[in-house]
Amino acid sequence: MSTPAPTRSPAASPAPTPPGPVAQAAQSVMSARMPTLAVTALLVITLAASIVLQPDFFSAYSLSASFATILPVATIAAAQTIIVLGGGIDLSIGTIVTLASAVSVVLMDGDNSRLPLALAAGLATGAACGLVNGLVVAGLRLQPIVATFATSSVFGGLALLVLPQPGGTASPVLTQGFGMVLAIYIPVPAVLLLALWLAWRLLRRHRFGQYLYAVGGNADAAYTSAVPVSAVRVFSYVAGGTVAALAGIALLADSGAGDPTLGTELTLGSIAALVIGGTRLRGGSGGVGGALVGAIVLSLIQGLVFFAGVPTDAREFVYGCIIIVAIALAGLLTSRNGTRRTAAARGKAGTA
Amino acid sequence: MGWKPRRRSGHHALGALAAAGIVLAATACSTPQAGDDSGDGGSEGPFTIGVSNGFIGSEWREQMISVLEDSFADYESEGVVDELVIESADVDVNGQIQQIRNLIRSDVDAIIVNPNSPTALDQVFAEAADQGIKIVAIDQAVESEHVTNVVIDQAEWASISAEWLAGEVGEGGRIVAVNGIDGHPANEARWSGAQEVFDEAGVEVAANDYAEWDQSKGQTVTRDLLASNPDVDGVFVQDGMALGAMQALQSEDLVSEVAITGEARVGYMKEWNKLRESDEDFSSIGVPNPPSVSVSALHVVLRQLQGEELKDGELENGNTLHLPIPETVTDENFDERFAEVEDKPDAYAVDHHITAEEADGYFE
Repeated sequence: MSTPAPTRSPAASPAPTPPGPVAQAAQSVMSARMPTLAVTALLVITLAASIVLQPDFFSAYSLSASFATILPVATIAAAQTIIVLGGGIDLSIGTIVTLASAVSVVLMDGDNSRLPLALAAGLATGAACGLVNGLVVAGLRLQPIVATFATSSVFGGLALLVLPQPGGTASPVLTQGFGMVLAIYIPVPAVLLLALWLAWRLLRRHRFGQYLYAVGGNADAAYTSAVPVSAVRVFSYVAGGTVAALAGIALLADSGAGDPTLGTELTLGSIAALVIGGTRLRGGSGGVGGALVGAIVLSLIQGLVFFAGVPTDAREFVYGCIIIVAIALAGLLTSRNGTRRTAAARGKAGTA
Repeated sequence: MGWKPRRRSGHHALGALAAAGIVLAATACSTPQAGDDSGDGGSEGPFTIGVSNGFIGSEWREQMISVLEDSFADYESEGVVDELVIESADVDVNGQIQQIRNLIRSDVDAIIVNPNSPTALDQVFAEAADQGIKIVAIDQAVESEHVTNVVIDQAEWASISAEWLAGEVGEGGRIVAVNGIDGHPANEARWSGAQEVFDEAGVEVAANDYAEWDQSKGQTVTRDLLASNPDVDGVFVQDGMALGAMQALQSEDLVSEVAITGEARVGYMKEWNKLRESDEDFSSIGVPNPPSVSVSALHVVLRQLQGEELKDGELENGNTLHLPIPETVTDENFDERFAEVEDKPDAYAVDHHITAEEADGYFE
């Protein structure tokens, strides 16, 4: 990427107009945090309900099992969010997870000494898949939803070629490390989840993070502001693919063995998680933090439906209904502030 | 419940946090372990049984669960068991891991699982075993040492209908094959069993395709295979797709020329019955794949919970108990077998499970 003239990214800076600084700060907090508030409210509700319904919710096993289940889902949601923020969408993300985990498990094959190589290859696979998606979407200008639907078959098919049958063992260091509990009570996956969020904060402060919001919010305005739009789009898919590969490795660590269908069904869940987390599907507004919490909420709801004793045949139905309510809640709280914010951002970007 | 508390202690969150704070300085890492009750000598019950089923797109699975509920009710009235916790939904491997973790957290004593993967549940099975939970896998075998597989031998199952088909088409005959899902462990075991028979009998497999154990896909795939291989003598098709394959033969008017392996399900058997009446030369075969394997598994796992040990030599590959394959439906016994199931819905699979006494026979 060349170094373009410094631009004021529309989404990243607070509105510089009067009224006074305090009111302005308050407004900025309100508008920026509203989606976060919505998803936080959902988190509090689902968490409280979980504690009521599961007396053992905070036992060491329960906590470590919860985070082990949440981490892969949350990581995929983070990957999808990066892509959606840039104005794209990736329906192939589940199969990127599959392919990356298949490549990793075939290379490590239960051997600790081959772990670094296998991890690197898995991440490279994810990045390469993302690059393919990015080039198809930004280079060939195909509709992302259709293009990535097509590449999902390509990646899924490749996974079957790499790992034709379930098999291959994850290296013991990986699975044991993943299952460890630090200081008696803190599961490793929880630490990784935090690390993922911190990494996102870093990325967001970086110029790429600001470009991402600019391109997703208004690509034309970003273009006239000398933002390398195509490069940013491609890079959003590469970054998303790489993070998806991390999810594949987390799944591998959690399951302990390879399977050529591991992760394929997580695509739509990732989109639901980011919407609940307050990210706008048209791009430019939202963030990974919300998506991570959204994934936690989704996972808690799944557990809730089970522990509430809903009969198994009705569980799917009840789960679906609750998701609709959650998305509606998130949408109601987000859109009112979101539209105002974007309108302001648009105006500003247009004049920049 | 006669079941020792599993966790280190029943402490509350605050207590745990305080404890964590105290030990924080002195400790490095630990793995969450249950109490030391794994491998205990059995107990009196009543037991709580969990079920994890990761695929609900077929009537076979519905039948598998409903017969299990019936048998569970019998044990419940005897006071052996108290609660059946069922997790049944269309999930991927990750979803099934969550299903099993939910069961672990509901304090079940044993889990009966129809696994979505032979390997990718290893880790969660180990977690369950750590908590002293007995695990039995049904329908398809898994590799985990913590699990007892209670299954039929899929290779043997397929070889029975393959042998019949080889006899029908004779040496040098050409067939096409309609299999389940490429790479699926049960499918691979079946197809390798069938291929061995065809190789020995000198039967040529002209083409092989997959219809995912779905009747309508079975029909499409068979039609395509017949169109591209017009001169075949037979069709090898697995169960769940044979009725569809038969309909493809009928629409091409090939029923009298091409032999086809059938299935022991009511829909197919109705068609078989009609064809028998109109053409006395019509011949078919149906090897039952019993959904009641879940009931057989319940018999086995309850005995394990009561502390009984499987006899040496009953287990193959270290962890697999092969159930007898139920009697095949043939031209000879058709009328009698059909009469037993005639009134059931079309999707009903001819069923069989071992009795409690037969289960006793597997144990010391």
